[in-house]
Amino acid sequence: MTSTLVSKSERAYIQASLQATPPLRGDGRGLLDFRTVLLETGVAPLANGSAKLNIGKMPHEGGGGTEVLAATKLEVEDVETGDGVDGGRIVCSVSCSPSAYPHLSSNALDELQYDLTVILQQTIGHPSLHPQNLTIIPRRKSWLLNLDVVILADSGNVVDALFMAARAALWDTKVPRTRAVEYHAPEETQTTRDSAGAMDIDQREAIPQTSGFDTREMVRTAADFELPDYWDEGEVLNGRERWPVCVTLNLLPPTHFLDATLPEEASVPLRMHLTFSFGTPNSANLQSMRLSGPGELDLNQIKAYIADGEKYARELFNALETKLREEDIRRNVKARDRFALR
Amino acid sequence: MAQSNFDRRRINGPDESYQPIFEADEDLETKWKPGSPRKGRTARDIRPIFLKAGLMNQANGSAYIETEKTKIACAVYGPRQSKTTVYNEKGRLNVEVKFAPFSCTKRRVPIRDAEDRSVAVQIQQALNAAVRLELLPKSTIDIFVTVIENDGIEGCVAAGSVAASVALADAGIEMLGLVAACSAAVVGKEIWMDPTDEEGRVASGSLVLAGMPALGTITSVWQTGLMSPDEAIQCMEACQECCAEIHAVMAQALLENAQNT
Repeated sequence: MTSTLVSKSERAYIQASLQATPPLRGDGRGLLDFRTVLLETGVAPLANGSAKLNIGKMPHEGGGGTEVLAATKLEVEDVETGDGVDGGRIVCSVSCSPSAYPHLSSNALDELQYDLTVILQQTIGHPSLHPQNLTIIPRRKSWLLNLDVVILADSGNVVDALFMAARAALWDTKVPRTRAVEYHAPEETQTTRDSAGAMDIDQREAIPQTSGFDTREMVRTAADFELPDYWDEGEVLNGRERWPVCVTLNLLPPTHFLDATLPEEASVPLRMHLTFSFGTPNSANLQSMRLSGPGELDLNQIKAYIADGEKYARELFNALETKLREEDIRRNVKARDRFALR
Repeated sequence: MAQSNFDRRRINGPDESYQPIFEADEDLETKWKPGSPRKGRTARDIRPIFLKAGLMNQANGSAYIETEKTKIACAVYGPRQSKTTVYNEKGRLNVEVKFAPFSCTKRRVPIRDAEDRSVAVQIQQALNAAVRLELLPKSTIDIFVTVIENDGIEGCVAAGSVAASVALADAGIEMLGLVAACSAAVVGKEIWMDPTDEEGRVASGSLVLAGMPALGTITSVWQTGLMSPDEAIQCMEACQECCAEIHAVMAQALLENAQNT
């Protein structure tokens, strides 16, 4: 996406090495090797879910690499009078920190931000991936999930990093549990005035006919909600197995390679972004496919790329799953054990 | 308290007013049920295309495309000198898309919107490989696409690419081939070609494909939504076939324009 300046000879050099036998890359990786990916969840305590991802951090110098920070925040929206949609909605936004792209003007930065936002929003905001537990009160109030991703540094392959960080942040998201409540005008009896007060929140139990356990009627007439437990983080966001992973194939016919660094991206501008979701262990669904860059392909090539992309995406997905489960254990079980020992 | 609207000297209307609900509107809302066939056409039919080149005399090349409820006008200016001082050895293709405020069901603000840019990016991706930009150093080709009526964003992108390609040919800019584009949607188990806005909303996934039928290549694929890889490949094959038909329509429109002038 960004254009590092590469001279014609450098571009020819990189292309020739990639097409040589055996293929050679600047850092000695194979064509299908990814750089080291570092992931940490729960980095933003005020967010409902967050993750920080770094691809290609150099171990000795301690810096470099593509660094991306994703965080989700839930807001309450009114369906009737506000922008809310019954069932909740997801809005994604990507912002590029100017320190990551020092050579771009602010207009160019806005356009880059916008392009990356569109890719993320159209894939993750699609109704087929919509989680079920974003409703608070049906047809009245719902959650708006804001997924904000910030690119702190770009050293190539930023789209894959965006999707991985988004997936990790969504995996980590906890939706607060809510309970519907209803307002009642106080009865003109001594007991209610003493216990409830003038215009206080009152539960259905005030009416003697129906049982206090019968909350069916209340959901239909519920006007507002409350959090039963303030300190409870909530339940996990529904549908977390379905969040997709993206793999970017940089295309240099007849070969292709993954995880390009900046000079490689500038020398091989034609790329294909494939996003797969593996909801059930055996099925693979294509969530989005984009061809970008100057170049043309024919249908057979595209078929081959989709098949290869599925394989790579599955490996990436499995690795990410393992890491996310480890992170869950680290933050919950191990932290609790360490705390208990004190 | 409506302070701004309250006028002591006049009789004021009610503070809040709502649009009346017409009985006729509610009858027209026949919802499509999954499993039932497509309304109005078969699954693989695209909407009939009206395409005319050379409508705007001021522009170097122009085209107007109409497919049932999607109406798009395209004008090409160029090749002209690049405004930037940076030397570029290949020409630049600058695509700008504007949705008219009355083009969608809900009024759009006249200010350049975020959605305009995503359509422009897709059209540029479709045309980039086809135009011979290496013959036009230091130049820019400006393509201005105006959407007069919008019925489905995928249809807009496809029709916009077709109109832009015909306008480029009308302007006499050298290309490797005419670019045709088509959209498809997966609805239930079927593949519906050229979905309208309503159909796009019930679809589980959609795909826009642009390519050069004369060379048999593909320049742009844009797929969103849930689709299995096999369905996606079927969509692409169907789109390629439709693109060949659209190519014939484009060539006919250019021929008629050339014969008339």
